[in-house]
Amino acid sequence: MRYRLLALITATALLSTACSADKEAGPTDQPSAAPAPSASDAGPAREDADLVIWTSEAASRAVTPIAQKFGQENNITVAVQVIAADLAANAITANAAGNGPDILTLPNDFLGGALQNGTVKPLSLGAGDLGAYEKSAVASVSRNGQVWALPYGMENLVLYRNTKAAPKAPATVEELVSTGQAAVKKGTVKRALSLPVGQEGDAYHMHPFFTSAGGSLFAMDASGQYDTTKIGIGTPESIAAAKKIAALGEKGSKVLSRSIDGSNAIAQFTAGNAAYLISGPWALADIRKSKVPYDITPIPPFAGGKPAAPFLGVQAFWMLSNAKNPAFAEEFVTKTMNTPEAMTAMYEQDPRPPVRNDVLAAVSAKDADMGKLAAGAKNATLLPDFPFMAGVWPPLGQAYATIVGGADPTSTMQKTGKTIESAVKAK
Amino acid sequence: MTVRWWREVGWRHAGGLVAVVFAVVPVLYVVSAAFNPLGTVVSTDVIPTRFSLVHFQSLFSDPARPFPRWLLNTLIVCAMVTFVQVLCSALAAYAFSRFRFKGRRGGLLTLLLIQMFPQFLAVIALFTMVTELGEALPALGLNTIAGYSLVLMGGALAQVWLIKGYFDTIPRQLDEAAVVDGASHAGVFFRILLPLARPILAVTGLLAFVGVIGEFLLASIFLTDTNAKTLAVGLYGIIESDRSNNLGVFAAGALMTALPVVLLFQYLQRYIVGGLTSGAVKD
Amino acid sequence: MIRILCLGIAVGTAAALTPSLAGGGHYVVLTVAWVVVAVLLVTYGTGRAVTAKYLVPGTLLLVVFTVAPVLATVQMSTTNYGDGTRTTKRETVERILANSVVQAPDSPTFNLTVGTSGDSDFTFFLVDRATGTAYAGNRDGLKEVSPTVTRGFVTAAAGYTMLTPKQVNDAAAQLKEFAVPVEGGAIRQRGLREAFEGRTMLRYDEAADTITDTATGTSYTVQRQGDREYFVDGQGERLSEQSWRAGVGLENYRRAFTDPRILGGFLRIFGWTVVFAAGSVVLTFVVGLGLAVMLNDSRVRGQKVYRSILLLPYAIPGFISILVWSGFFNQEFGLINNLTGLDIDWLGDPWGAKAALLLLNLWLGFPYMFLVATGALQSIPAELREAATIDGAGAFTAFRRITLPLLLVAVAPILVASFAFNFNNYNVIELLTHGGPFTPDHPDAGATDILISYTVRLAFGAGGAQFGFAAAIATLLFVITGVLAAAQFRATRSLEEVH
Repeated sequence: MRYRLLALITATALLSTACSADKEAGPTDQPSAAPAPSASDAGPAREDADLVIWTSEAASRAVTPIAQKFGQENNITVAVQVIAADLAANAITANAAGNGPDILTLPNDFLGGALQNGTVKPLSLGAGDLGAYEKSAVASVSRNGQVWALPYGMENLVLYRNTKAAPKAPATVEELVSTGQAAVKKGTVKRALSLPVGQEGDAYHMHPFFTSAGGSLFAMDASGQYDTTKIGIGTPESIAAAKKIAALGEKGSKVLSRSIDGSNAIAQFTAGNAAYLISGPWALADIRKSKVPYDITPIPPFAGGKPAAPFLGVQAFWMLSNAKNPAFAEEFVTKTMNTPEAMTAMYEQDPRPPVRNDVLAAVSAKDADMGKLAAGAKNATLLPDFPFMAGVWPPLGQAYATIVGGADPTSTMQKTGKTIESAVKAK
Repeated sequence: MTVRWWREVGWRHAGGLVAVVFAVVPVLYVVSAAFNPLGTVVSTDVIPTRFSLVHFQSLFSDPARPFPRWLLNTLIVCAMVTFVQVLCSALAAYAFSRFRFKGRRGGLLTLLLIQMFPQFLAVIALFTMVTELGEALPALGLNTIAGYSLVLMGGALAQVWLIKGYFDTIPRQLDEAAVVDGASHAGVFFRILLPLARPILAVTGLLAFVGVIGEFLLASIFLTDTNAKTLAVGLYGIIESDRSNNLGVFAAGALMTALPVVLLFQYLQRYIVGGLTSGAVKD
Repeated sequence: MIRILCLGIAVGTAAALTPSLAGGGHYVVLTVAWVVVAVLLVTYGTGRAVTAKYLVPGTLLLVVFTVAPVLATVQMSTTNYGDGTRTTKRETVERILANSVVQAPDSPTFNLTVGTSGDSDFTFFLVDRATGTAYAGNRDGLKEVSPTVTRGFVTAAAGYTMLTPKQVNDAAAQLKEFAVPVEGGAIRQRGLREAFEGRTMLRYDEAADTITDTATGTSYTVQRQGDREYFVDGQGERLSEQSWRAGVGLENYRRAFTDPRILGGFLRIFGWTVVFAAGSVVLTFVVGLGLAVMLNDSRVRGQKVYRSILLLPYAIPGFISILVWSGFFNQEFGLINNLTGLDIDWLGDPWGAKAALLLLNLWLGFPYMFLVATGALQSIPAELREAATIDGAGAFTAFRRITLPLLLVAVAPILVASFAFNFNNYNVIELLTHGGPFTPDHPDAGATDILISYTVRLAFGAGGAQFGFAAAIATLLFVITGVLAAAQFRATRSLEEVH
């Protein structure tokens, strides 16, 4: 008899666990009549909160207190959830299944995929409200006459410099290399520059050098938008640029190395091993903590080259199309977050230049680094959001990695250009 | 140390020590990172040079990362799934080992085959399914430990082959004798086979436990609520957010994750070794 | 008695859940629940079917949570489901229309209070922010009223109950459809306490299946492009990148068999997949078994300590170890090169990366084999081995002739399963090498790509997530793995044991 008991317990786990399932109907099961005011609203908390926000670990520290205050003011429960992996893809899937969050934070390059999947809904803020924000930031989340997210911070690559190793900001890449290598010779540091390449390459971090050496991803049309019919990879300009990168690589001056990757690039600088670091605002907190004396300047160009153009990314709040709590979501984004106080709080917890002009001015006055980070965006181009970029970033990164490793720049760029062309055409 | 000792025992120690070094060096690195107050990739080496509990403190004090809660969730999931998996597998293994029925061979092969489906490619279907289940019975939906455990229990028969292989080595005469003495098939299973099969139950229990504790893929999709997370997802979030600087906290968390497995093994080892004597009741 | 009680509980639970499940329209869950109960009743309610009593618990779980999703995945492989096609056509049209709502230029913004009267519909109580005029609006239109206004918001009106913010939020599904028509547009809710006059710029004609832009007059019709349909204008320009889900028959399989990229790299990748899977199994098994045999001797002191330490690699969750190891292989800073004084380009060289993967997989996997072999060794009577030694066979011969064959019988299925696991071991490839290193000649197929990492990249790469295609690949890989496993079974002849 005993085994029967055990077997039954096991097999009926599905049912018995459900025994305690609440009998009250979920929010979608309500009859179409207006909800009757009921006193039992303060009953046991629902499994899902009245407002659910998905975000990254870093941003969660800033969003959580603001969201909690919002919850108290409106007497609702709020959940800020850190998504471990692949926030964008998980959000698209969950939203399609009706199980997604109400709000999420992601950079502007989420827009293309989000529109393709109908994942987000437009921000219903008028021009009056949006006028308070940096124009390029608003433009980065605008498409088809709508604004799709509330931007809060910008990020772009800059040059961090260990002022002990290199007291003066370099005017050119060549100067960066020579001063960096001089510091290595003196023994102040172990390497001139820390720039993540890795085995798979990093097209994002290489872009400033690539553009300064004359390369481009796509041509720009008259209105300053990407013209994806004119691909820059594989052109003679891109090959010339790749040669300049190769000269910095493992078979050249060894300033660039595949051993430096996303997992150790910042740590190399904070440990005092590197004279220079190319990174974004996310590195700032660690650098400050490390006590390495530093300064921030825009990334210098090659001597006689074009300006070094990093990508401009804009972090933003997005409202989801299948949100369970659209009214609270809208209220939170368009009212609570759309204030100088909330934007300042975002900066304080997750320091990066705010995109609300009044907040940026106030913050830069107190924190010189913010102004310097923002100055690095002067030559920046917008981070492209085309869904097909998923087929462009990896081959381009791989091309940079093999070129840094010593492969022939000409054939590498030509072949990669063909690969990218077919990826762009496929859509 | 005689030559004979070397031939019979000594070489075993030599081989064992080589394996120990191989096994331990990476673990030592994790230990070293966990106790290194700097906790960065660059500052960590195999031999711990500094000692500090700062990462463990931050594990247990940071409200944004409710580590104790994750640990508890993980232990609940592991316990439930391991118990169900070992029990169901042992029951089925008994049937496959002792009964002759139609579809027996096919059933065994099917079991093996089903496990070969690349499960993470079925993840969208699973997600849709749990979404639907959650709408009907919120206690079993997304972001619930119960729902997540149920999905993992889909592998309830994962250990059948191992246990059946062990049952096959237990002489049938034993159960036949018991039947003659008036025992039911259930009696044979619970009173004779299960006690004799303790070593393999301990091994499969451990295998199941480790399989669940390290499960990351499904958990990262099903458990997004901070308080519903397991250690695997929670820790991945820590390292993913900042690979170079969170190494210390991550390593500390990794050690805490390994701890239950090590303890469980210490507990189960006597059954595995105990098999040396009790398993010797042979024909 | 206990049996009846348990069955009663099962039936009772299902019965108790039935009204709420049926009321909520969750018929699939309801049906599954009752089928489970019925199976339990049939199995345990009668005295017969002894075998089933042992098989049913695990099988039920297996069918519901493993087989059903697998079948659903196979079914998905005949659709174009993926990025851009996650919604139904109806949902797509709704979203396109909803996204075209813009605030009318120079139109007023209102402070909103949502009210409800005895009937079942809503009324918007609006206060124009510029003029302070109060209105009440319903589906028929707007009219001026004079209710109680406090701090710019209507707070009370005779015959109406005002909704709390939480009630407004909970009524989202109904309020989404609610708009107060005014000339040239409609007044809609925005957030909890605000309303605006918006215009829908697009109109859908269901009969003609066209969407028309009311401002420009452009008409968009449905046209097929690739494996999906879009609304396009006369020039073929898409109105929106959003398409919808549709069945595509065997198109995904056709693509898998005809895509030149898949065919081009297939043999090379298939070869490495087999080498990787077989190599991992052989290495881990040889080392694991060797250690088990070495330490499975009562004369070895500290057995327990050895076993505990050798288990450590297994105790740390795999993804953590892999991340740690990926740092070890760094050419310049990695532990391995630093400790050994070598300068191997582990992850940048095709052979180095392959060796690195096998080494890592050995570390990850040998404790498992050690455990399994230790467990299986206990089942082999010591007398057998002792007898062999007394008969004059050397220790090694005794092991090879007696212990090993017996052991293989017990572990052969585990070896086959382990092969199958490594055949599709996406995790270790993805976390250590990502399939790399890559060359510009094969930007999609890295030197360490196995079939699954390679095809997943194709299914989730340039074209966004293509779940339908991925499902087809999963199905094909399932077939390949199954055939290989069956062949191995034949070869190891362990099937004889099953007879």
